[in-house]
Amino acid sequence: MKKLWLVITALIVASMVLTACGGADAPVEEEAPVAEEAPAVEEEAVTEEEAPAEEAAEISLRWRTRPGNQEEADLYQGISDGLNLDGITLEYEPGGSDTSSYQDVLKTELASGTAPDVFWIPGTDVADFVARGLLLDMRGMADATDGYADADFYEGPMFHLTFNPETGNSSETLWGLPRDVSTFALYINLDLLAEAGVDDPRELEANGEWTWEAFQETAEAVSALGDDVQGYSGSAWWGPYGVWINAAGGNFFNEDRTACALDTDEALAGLQFVQDLYASGAAVPYGEDGEPPFRSGNVGMFQNGRWATPGIRTVDFEWDVVGLPVGPAGNPGNWLFWGAYVVNADTENPEAAWELVQALTTAEVQGTVAALGANIPSRVSQDALDAFLDFTPPANNQAFLDGLANSPTAEGPLWAGSWPDFGAVMDTAISSLLTGETTVEDFGATVCDEANKAFQE
Amino acid sequence: MSTYRIGIFLRNLLLYITLTFFAFAMLFPFLVMVFTSLKEASDSYRFPPKLLPRAPITMAVEGYDEELPLYFVDFEGSQEEFVLVEKTVKVGEYAAPDQLDMTYIRELELVTETSGATTIYEDEEVPLYDITVDGEVVPMVRVDRTALGRFANPDDLSVTILQNLRSSEPVERLTWHPENYTEVVNLHGMDRALTNTALVTILVVLGQLVTSVLGGYAFARLKFPGRDSLFVIYLGTIMIPFVVVITPLYKLMILIGWVDKLAALIIPWIFTAYGTFLMRQFFITFPKEIEEAAVLDGASRLQILWTIFLPASTPALATLSTFTFLYAWNSFFWPLVVINTGNEANRVLTLAVSVLGGRAMDAPNLVLAGAAIAVLPPVIIYIFGQRYFVESSSSSGLKG
Amino acid sequence: MTSNSTQSQTIPSADAKTSLALKVLSIWHIIFAIAGLAGTVMIWQSASDIADWIKAIVSIFLVLGATFSAIAVFSIRERKHRGRTISLVINYLGLLASFFGGLHTVGFFTGIDSLGETFSKGLPYMGIAFVGYLIGTIGDRYQKDHPGTAQKFRKTAQVVAAIGGVLFLFAVGIVPGTLSFISKFNSLIPILLLLGVIIFGIMVWLMWREPTRLAMHTKGKDQLMLEGYLFLSPNFIGFLFFFAGPLLFSLYSSFTDSDAFGNANWIGLANYQEIFNITIEPLEYADQLAKEVINIEVYDELSRFNFFGKDYVVGAEDQLFWISLGNTIKFVLLAVPMSVIPALLLATVLNSKLPGMKIFRAIYFVPSVAAVVGVAMIWRWLYNSTVGYLNYFITSFIKFVNSFAGSELLIDPQIGWTSDTQVALIAVAIMAAWQWMGFNTVLFLAGLQNIPGVLYEAATVDGANNWQKFWNVTLPMLAPTSFFVLTTTTINAMQIFDQVFVFTQPPGGPGTSTTTIVLYLYRQGFQNFRQGYASALAWVLFLLIFGLTLAQYMRQRAGDEAI
Repeated sequence: MKKLWLVITALIVASMVLTACGGADAPVEEEAPVAEEAPAVEEEAVTEEEAPAEEAAEISLRWRTRPGNQEEADLYQGISDGLNLDGITLEYEPGGSDTSSYQDVLKTELASGTAPDVFWIPGTDVADFVARGLLLDMRGMADATDGYADADFYEGPMFHLTFNPETGNSSETLWGLPRDVSTFALYINLDLLAEAGVDDPRELEANGEWTWEAFQETAEAVSALGDDVQGYSGSAWWGPYGVWINAAGGNFFNEDRTACALDTDEALAGLQFVQDLYASGAAVPYGEDGEPPFRSGNVGMFQNGRWATPGIRTVDFEWDVVGLPVGPAGNPGNWLFWGAYVVNADTENPEAAWELVQALTTAEVQGTVAALGANIPSRVSQDALDAFLDFTPPANNQAFLDGLANSPTAEGPLWAGSWPDFGAVMDTAISSLLTGETTVEDFGATVCDEANKAFQE
Repeated sequence: MSTYRIGIFLRNLLLYITLTFFAFAMLFPFLVMVFTSLKEASDSYRFPPKLLPRAPITMAVEGYDEELPLYFVDFEGSQEEFVLVEKTVKVGEYAAPDQLDMTYIRELELVTETSGATTIYEDEEVPLYDITVDGEVVPMVRVDRTALGRFANPDDLSVTILQNLRSSEPVERLTWHPENYTEVVNLHGMDRALTNTALVTILVVLGQLVTSVLGGYAFARLKFPGRDSLFVIYLGTIMIPFVVVITPLYKLMILIGWVDKLAALIIPWIFTAYGTFLMRQFFITFPKEIEEAAVLDGASRLQILWTIFLPASTPALATLSTFTFLYAWNSFFWPLVVINTGNEANRVLTLAVSVLGGRAMDAPNLVLAGAAIAVLPPVIIYIFGQRYFVESSSSSGLKG
Repeated sequence: MTSNSTQSQTIPSADAKTSLALKVLSIWHIIFAIAGLAGTVMIWQSASDIADWIKAIVSIFLVLGATFSAIAVFSIRERKHRGRTISLVINYLGLLASFFGGLHTVGFFTGIDSLGETFSKGLPYMGIAFVGYLIGTIGDRYQKDHPGTAQKFRKTAQVVAAIGGVLFLFAVGIVPGTLSFISKFNSLIPILLLLGVIIFGIMVWLMWREPTRLAMHTKGKDQLMLEGYLFLSPNFIGFLFFFAGPLLFSLYSSFTDSDAFGNANWIGLANYQEIFNITIEPLEYADQLAKEVINIEVYDELSRFNFFGKDYVVGAEDQLFWISLGNTIKFVLLAVPMSVIPALLLATVLNSKLPGMKIFRAIYFVPSVAAVVGVAMIWRWLYNSTVGYLNYFITSFIKFVNSFAGSELLIDPQIGWTSDTQVALIAVAIMAAWQWMGFNTVLFLAGLQNIPGVLYEAATVDGANNWQKFWNVTLPMLAPTSFFVLTTTTINAMQIFDQVFVFTQPPGGPGTSTTTIVLYLYRQGFQNFRQGYASALAWVLFLLIFGLTLAQYMRQRAGDEAI
């Protein structure tokens, strides 16, 4: 028997050796010029070295986004295949999702020089990437481009995307263009609200009565329906709790984003409201994923961004969206979420990369992406917004656009400090606040001492 | 004597109950995985949770375009199967001001206000409504509002009843959706991930067997200067967490161009101190005489290893193969770092499942179908080779 | 010289052919010495696109090779066995270098990818080969009674396996593979390396041959040494290249502020200082703010304690390290007992001779073979506090008990398994223990089965009850197994990462409640790019594990002596 095994093993090993040696060129070559698969004679399989094998003029660009789901990944692949850029071959790589650490992988690749030419990063990361010299400033190319104007995109993102950290002024650089934007809304279970016998929040909103008090009453009425039913659910990150701080007139940072402002009276008032909300039992406990209970029909109002829409479209109860309730400061305190296509500072083809960034943010491409339901176009144009309203359900798409129009706070990086450090301190402190482990007073007394360390250096 | 027997019987019963409880705890998560992976998306989120995949039974009813779902309802004291004709019928609870604990449920649309009449209810001025009770009209206040579902007898649609929809139990049948698996395979490239993992695992196991057997033999049976200190170093490195070397190893991969290549998942893993240690511990138990006799007969070292040592080493080889197989099949951290998440061609299962976990976060049936593809092959192999797995891993403990 | 010649006379075959071989070897070593030095010069003068440190390493190897080559020439002339050793080592290393260098340049390693592409086509044929093996094992059953039948089975098995193997080869594309392999030899470097393989190979063979060995007076001891190194070499070289090398580099980088972008300055022990820098200050009253007594610019408050009526506050420069260390220790204290104690008890039960035990044993082992990533996905569903099974079971159980008691005897805790900072780590520990327990059970069972029954009989004679037997016989006899189980489980638990990384959202959350050392290290190294610091953390973790293992080992030793 041993001999037999020897024979089999030897066969397998032999086959591996021989096929591995050369199979690359041989079997499947019809589709696409699988350039990077050719083991080639070059010592290092770094990006651009394939070029000589092709026609000399052809430039090849790799680009990457973080798709929300498989449909989006396929859509971006389709966009990549459909773009006709002169002399440029595109290669799209869908990045991982949140859970497979899109940013970590990207950073590792940047550090080792294997990152793509054009990639998407969330708005909060821009400063960190710029400070490390990873992004290409496209201002010069943009100024030389006919028909390009910063003002075509929302002002909030563009403030940060054109920020010059050396002078502290905006509009002096161009680090990237926003892929899309998003705002929060409340996804509401109409069946549950009806059963609770409360007024329809959409009507309240239309009458200007959709306030924190009305919201709280609604949440309590719904959660009174049963032990396993809750009025409100959110998710555990800075977006959901930040809304209440904003709506109370507070902010994470001071005016010029150079110090922590979580200990102001306004911020604490907002936090007090959420803490009470969670403590009252009318909400799914902080830290639990709010989506499963909402989709199983046990939550009245679920706070999330536009990106949750495709998943919620599969539920079998009546639902819609409504804007966030208006807080003491007189507005709903919404966020303007965004992420941007940026260019790798080490790219060998900056011109082509800039061309690609523009092509990826045209109104047409943004419309295609928004049609899937997860995104809102980042261009300020009535056409784009009108088109967006057609992507139903939810019927009340206007709620998201109202969020955009109602002076939302733009998500943004920290040019004067480290957003990851700040975020880590804030998340930890607020999570123990919202789970009732600390009081608002204790929180206010200590949080900024720690958080301000993010601004050192 | 018989009390003694009963005692034994009770003791054994208790033992079996304990064992069964643990067996259930061990298997239940797998059952959840398999059954959830066969559900449809809307069935996977529900409370209270149901293990088996179910689909609501619907039936065509005259006058309705879509088929209507069937529910169990309490109708005149007995349980009937009615169709749901209207999901939310807004109703109010009404009570006479002087008798607030007697409430009557009426549809809002069918109730009219008593013209102009109001009363004070809970410190507020509220309107009175005309409510008909037993043919008699009584002015009442509305004490509450809610919504109920309207259910109708499918044989006679005029027979209807209002009942809370959320607490109503739908009539369901068992169903299964194996197409979840095809979807995961087609959309998320699980098939390629599966064969990649198989390839990587096979090569790592083979490679590690070869180097470990040779190295273990050298440490156990051959004397050379520095052997013992080298062995101590080998032993020491077993304790070093892999994370210690992850950054430098990644840099090395860049240097030799293996980033994003399957080679990076295979070659570095076929030289392990652990395997060498295991084989050395096994070989060292062989009596010296056999080997010396063979040397006198003029056999080469390789012949001795092949004809004397290996045939007697099946348990150790099985142990090493088992460990290596599980390690290679299940490793996650290194592939996460070294294989580009976008590169579907070189993805291994653990990576694919993790990506799927993010991409299909809102479809647990798909996520768990992916998890099943990653988890079940070793389990199936284990079921077939159960004896080897269990007995070989036990032998490893003896010589530790 | 004279004594040697008398010896060589006793072996007449060692002349003509062998001395020619030795001559060739001498010439080759002269050439190699010159070529090595020339190569060194060439590297530094021409190849500009190679990093300096690589050049340095290659030069060191070349210069060493050249020097020893020169020494070898003299030793071979004097027929000293040292010459054979040096020559063999140089040529063997040269052979390996040119062989693997060759494989690398023709793209063998990166070509495994294309094998991945065709591998699925080959799988069915591999199945056929496996069927062949099965047929063979069936045949083995007849070995005793019907050797003829067994022989027939074996023949069939070989044929089937061979056919399967050949089909497999064709299916995965051996023909195009071979063709393209050959086509790679059209440029200078592969051909040179191929030449190198052939020359080095011949030289090794010439020197290894029995006649040459005798001519060079290699004694048994030296031959044994050579064989030892030869057998160890595949493992050892790979180990050096892929593990020890990176390990040393990581040690070096723990003394730098390396940031992954190529900037690294030597900063001595500063990383370690930052890790361990803590301060303890007395407080005037228990809830005094920390910033009033400790330098908040450097330290973050870690915890407070009361010692003999006086309150103190502990501040740490790297607060998160201490938190993650605490979490890791908590995790070890939770997961190790949870996976070891039930395993021991179950093993003692399984060790009884009742029917069905093998089935239970098999079932308990199942979680051990499942991928952590998949398992974490499943448990995320079980743990979901609102729609998950675990809370559903607890709620149902409590309702059941309460319906019996007729009152609210028990209160439904509605545990937030993944959201409650007090519980999240326990949830991870339960999941890990679930996965490790079966494995430990099997290990214990094996240990139990090795305890001689005589001991129990003796104990019975002495009138010991079951518990006493367990305590006085089983546990001491099981000590080696327990040591192994405890050590491996502890090491695994100290390095917990996959479970936390996949299971908790965000990894390490809620708050910092499940941030373990390895996760913290990952964050510092791969998110904050403090790779020098991350390396230092890794070494601290290693020292911890090493210390723990050593302590357990000492205790076991002490226990052994006590018996």
